[in-house]
Amino acid sequence: MHLGRSARIALRIGAGLGFAVIYVPLLLVLANSLNPDRSASWPPPGLTGRWWSAAVHDSGARHALWTSVKAGLGATAVALVLGTLIAFAVARYRFFGRDTVSFVVVLPIALPGIVTGIALNSAFSTVLQPLGVGLGLFTVIVGHATFCIVVVFNNVVARLRRTTGSYEEAAMDLGASTFRAFVDVTFPLVRSALLAGALLSFALSFDEIVVTTFTAGPGIETLPIWIFGNMTRPRQAPVVNVVAAVLVLLSVVPIYLAQRLSADTATSSRV
Amino acid sequence: MASEAPATARGSGVRRLAGALHRRPRLRLALLLTGPLLWLVVLYLGSLAVLFASAFWTTDSFTSQVVKVWSTDNFHALVTTPVFREVIVRSVGVALAVTALCALIAFPVAFYTARVAPPRRRPLLVVAILTPLWASYLVKVYAWRLILSQGGLADWLLAPFGLSGPGFGLPATVLTLTYLWLPYMILPIHTALEQLPAQLLDASADLGARAGRTFRSVVLPMVLPSVAAGSVFTFSLSLGDYITVQIVGGKTQLIGNLVYSDIELNLPMAAALGTVPVVVIVLYLLAIRRTGALDSL
Repeated sequence: MHLGRSARIALRIGAGLGFAVIYVPLLLVLANSLNPDRSASWPPPGLTGRWWSAAVHDSGARHALWTSVKAGLGATAVALVLGTLIAFAVARYRFFGRDTVSFVVVLPIALPGIVTGIALNSAFSTVLQPLGVGLGLFTVIVGHATFCIVVVFNNVVARLRRTTGSYEEAAMDLGASTFRAFVDVTFPLVRSALLAGALLSFALSFDEIVVTTFTAGPGIETLPIWIFGNMTRPRQAPVVNVVAAVLVLLSVVPIYLAQRLSADTATSSRV
Repeated sequence: MASEAPATARGSGVRRLAGALHRRPRLRLALLLTGPLLWLVVLYLGSLAVLFASAFWTTDSFTSQVVKVWSTDNFHALVTTPVFREVIVRSVGVALAVTALCALIAFPVAFYTARVAPPRRRPLLVVAILTPLWASYLVKVYAWRLILSQGGLADWLLAPFGLSGPGFGLPATVLTLTYLWLPYMILPIHTALEQLPAQLLDASADLGARAGRTFRSVVLPMVLPSVAAGSVFTFSLSLGDYITVQIVGGKTQLIGNLVYSDIELNLPMAAALGTVPVVVIVLYLLAIRRTGALDSL
């Protein structure tokens, strides 16, 4: 299509504006963490690093960060096991209801978080509470793992579909047992897909707030829950600003890792 | 030698097990699927089923205890109560508006990144679209709270024109949701535009079509399924959201807020309200499936 000069310029301006809209809010969060004023008024009257040192010593934020990391690691571990198992079943076997299985895997992330949240909440309180087990970090991990399975599944199943089973068959023809073939042949083939799935799964869990609200026990506060709770408190605003800025800076890490892992992981979306 | 004997015994045991597994593909399949299906079907689908069954129960208005008697009162209330009807219509309207805005903004951006920008720079631009997806959801909403708050960036930018920002409310909610889900719309459109064969565009030009005609008759029909695919995300993510509304929506209420406020006192009603976004999303997916867009997801 031969675009005229003016059309090209218009598109360039449109795209430039689009990217500006995408990045200005994130840059604003970074700038605002240096704002000496407690209100969010713009422009800031000056710059200060005072809130950054205040945030480092804020025990609430640090505690919430640690809780989020534990929940993310736990959920990712469960999701890696369950997602990989389903991926192998779906990619390597034909069985009745195979399409239904891939549908059920997607469901927890396709339905609104609040529906998943209250469903799990009422299930936990009717099943676990009579056993004397209350809501806690454990239930958060169970909730997060449920919607993290799909990202591991998607990554692994895509990889398995691109590699046929003939490598394993060759290994077994050469005398390798089922387990040996898995360790020496299959696992190296899917390793980077597993890493990508784990990365996505951890990011998804780390960012989640709705399901967490309904599955966290009293005293269990993940970082998003902490931010949400402190956002509207004027006294805490500067520390929230710094935590927000840190999260914006940290979002570069998974992008970098995904680029390192493989080109196709970076272009597949988070879902 | 003595230490090796049990090791080889165990080794042959493992080998026997492997052989037994190899001869029984059904057993292998069962071992693979049992754990995950217990988790997803019993825990997850079981919870969902109980929740939706409880939508047909009622609540004692004095004690807030759930009364397990089958009735369709909640769904009757859903259709007849003006507040509920108003909120449902508003929520669907917001989801549609966000989807339309996303498509409108995404198109020029995707067109630039896929066909106008120098090919060398395109992968970098894709990363630039993806990066905000990794930034925390809550931080992005918070950023818009900062922008739209009194004396914030929006007020400052609009002051020279004698205007002020929209403040917190319904427009702020639509704006923020559009921002949140925009990358989900840009990416599929970018991919579709990138895969558009150049010969088709040349053929269209050879046949005498100008850029505008080529766009309408060639580009748009081929990219529309991708817009539909992107809209699945923008629509369903907007419909289920209640956190953004709480942060930038002022007093605005969407379905999610009603569900949230009913959970403590009237779980059956909350469950009935929760079915609304699920049903709407399923209907939307069925409608979209007819365009064939879901295959490209």
